[in-house]
Amino acid sequence: MNLVRAELERLTARRFVQLMVVLLALAFGVTAATTLAGSHQPSPVELAEARAQAADARRQMDEIYQQCVDRVNGNLPPEVEEQYYPADCSEVDPVRQERLPVATDYLTGVFTFGSQARPLLFFLIAFLVLFGFLVGASYIGADLNSGGVVNLLLWRPRRMTVLGTKLGTLLGATLVLSLLASVAYLATFWVIGQTAGLAGQLDADFWRELGALHARGMVLVLLATALGFALATLGRHTSAALGTAAAYAVVWELGARLVLEIVDAPRPDRFMLSSHVGAWLAGEARFWDASGCASSGGGFCDASYTLTGGTALTVLLVLTGVLAVAAFAAFRRRDLI
Amino acid sequence: MSAVIEIEGLRKTFHSVRHGRRIAVDGFDLVVGAGQVHGFLGPNGSGKTTTLRALLGLVRADGGRMSVLGAPSPTHLPQVAGRVGAIVESPQFFGNFTAERTLRLLARAGGVPAVRVDEVLEQVGLRDRGHERVKGYSLGMKQRLAVASALLKQPELLILDEPANGLDPAGIREMRDLMRSLSAAGVTVLVSSHILAEIQLICDHVTIISRGRRVAAGRVDEVLAGFDQHEFRVRVDEPERAAELLRDAGLPVDAHPDHLVVGEVADATVVSRLLGEQGLWVRELTPLRPDLESVFLELTGEGVHPSLPRQVDGSRPPGGAPPHGGEIDLGTVGSDRGGNA
Repeated sequence: MNLVRAELERLTARRFVQLMVVLLALAFGVTAATTLAGSHQPSPVELAEARAQAADARRQMDEIYQQCVDRVNGNLPPEVEEQYYPADCSEVDPVRQERLPVATDYLTGVFTFGSQARPLLFFLIAFLVLFGFLVGASYIGADLNSGGVVNLLLWRPRRMTVLGTKLGTLLGATLVLSLLASVAYLATFWVIGQTAGLAGQLDADFWRELGALHARGMVLVLLATALGFALATLGRHTSAALGTAAAYAVVWELGARLVLEIVDAPRPDRFMLSSHVGAWLAGEARFWDASGCASSGGGFCDASYTLTGGTALTVLLVLTGVLAVAAFAAFRRRDLI
Repeated sequence: MSAVIEIEGLRKTFHSVRHGRRIAVDGFDLVVGAGQVHGFLGPNGSGKTTTLRALLGLVRADGGRMSVLGAPSPTHLPQVAGRVGAIVESPQFFGNFTAERTLRLLARAGGVPAVRVDEVLEQVGLRDRGHERVKGYSLGMKQRLAVASALLKQPELLILDEPANGLDPAGIREMRDLMRSLSAAGVTVLVSSHILAEIQLICDHVTIISRGRRVAAGRVDEVLAGFDQHEFRVRVDEPERAAELLRDAGLPVDAHPDHLVVGEVADATVVSRLLGEQGLWVRELTPLRPDLESVFLELTGEGVHPSLPRQVDGSRPPGGAPPHGGEIDLGTVGSDRGGNA
């Protein structure tokens, strides 16, 4: 317990951590301030107009769908024959759409929490992932480099305990900070929506989906933190983690993706971590495989494929787990000179 | 006297892709008895720090047996770590933390009462600078902080690697006084240093390592006595005639421009009587006792080829003979001669 408290104090006293927290607060403040400045509560007239526009848009969708069905059945009047309709009318079936136009879509200069919370949360998760990776890497990297670990081992000559405590404290602190930041962030924008915009449709489904996205985001933050920690431990330096991340992005995500496309490798996106990160966050991700329809002979061919959240989580967990185990194994045997 | 540190046959080889294989410690033995202030000497790269790091579990030994306060190291080191204070080669600290905070964190991690922080800052002379960030410290102040961190636990055994590194003369004297007071309080001290005069002043026992092997060990006075050639410096009005007389008496004489060095003199009166009987009056007759520096240089071969550029741990110049045929062991524990091998 003493070791955990000491590590927690070391972590919170680190300037880099403090700087990242300030940056988080700054980004948060700027986003909230600009949102607040650019939003107003809609007047009853604006609301009525927006509702009418939304109703009109929904009616148009119904009409297009009906015309599509009529065309398939041969009942379409000649004056609308020229319009494009998909071969499969279900594509324009309003019932099958992910969402239908609502009044808030037609309100300009009005922040609507219900429709903006999801992209706002994506931004926060992206920042916290970056925060976790950098803090995880610098926390152990600087300690290994500055002799802090050696000093600690002279007091507590149990390497696994010391490294495990460091990682545990880091993950715990990152999770607590992420949760606090998330609550403060969403609460602030909820208040902006209530007082200077619109709350939007905040039903049980909305909160369930937002909660699920947030939970997936927190898992990603913890994985990124552990990954940064493991890479810096293996490389004995913060820059080892940063260099690995940069090299991976350039060599694999850019270079290898290009090569895979040139050689027409099937489903190249499944080899990219970014695809799995996206699939995990969104629950699933669909990709189009350029080589999938090469032999279809020009007929209808659906070359898309899906990466599920479960598969993505497995890939991310295995990668992080392997690197973490390797880091602990290397630290256990390493000569600290 | 019981042994606080025992090392037997320690071996460590470093492997590097660029530099290949390098033997750092090759069958090294060390015994430090309870209550000793034990000097650990050796040239740069001779294996001192590797030995201390292996003893403290920071480096994995390839062979040999080690124990600290009776506990096999590194397997049982956690059991005795609370009784051992150590600093190992140029200790580094987090620059943005103050000395006080650095020590407080260590104290917390080790379950030491916070009140010890102020005590050790006072003890090493950093009381008034403890609130400053470590990055503003001089090398000597960092060294004091390192010693303070080692003292936090009120250790029974203190292991200090180059504690005088970076200290000014006053700091060196304070460090010497500190070690003496710790020794008087019953703390066993193992100190490695290059400042041989300091070691001679502070330590009662010494172990000398060269090229990863022990070349001498025992009480400081006994090690020095082993190299005493019973030489005297003689100043006399007619040095050529005096030298001839002494040589005729069977004594080896080395003539210098203004004095003679006469060896194998069991009793100084032999020289004065021999010269006085021939009307040569002695103006100076001074015994030449070996000091630790001359013994160290002779044992490690550091001073035998002054014309050659000295290499790190260049105990043996290329193509040259070993500087020392074997080991001088005068007993590491207490005064038991040869009892530590």
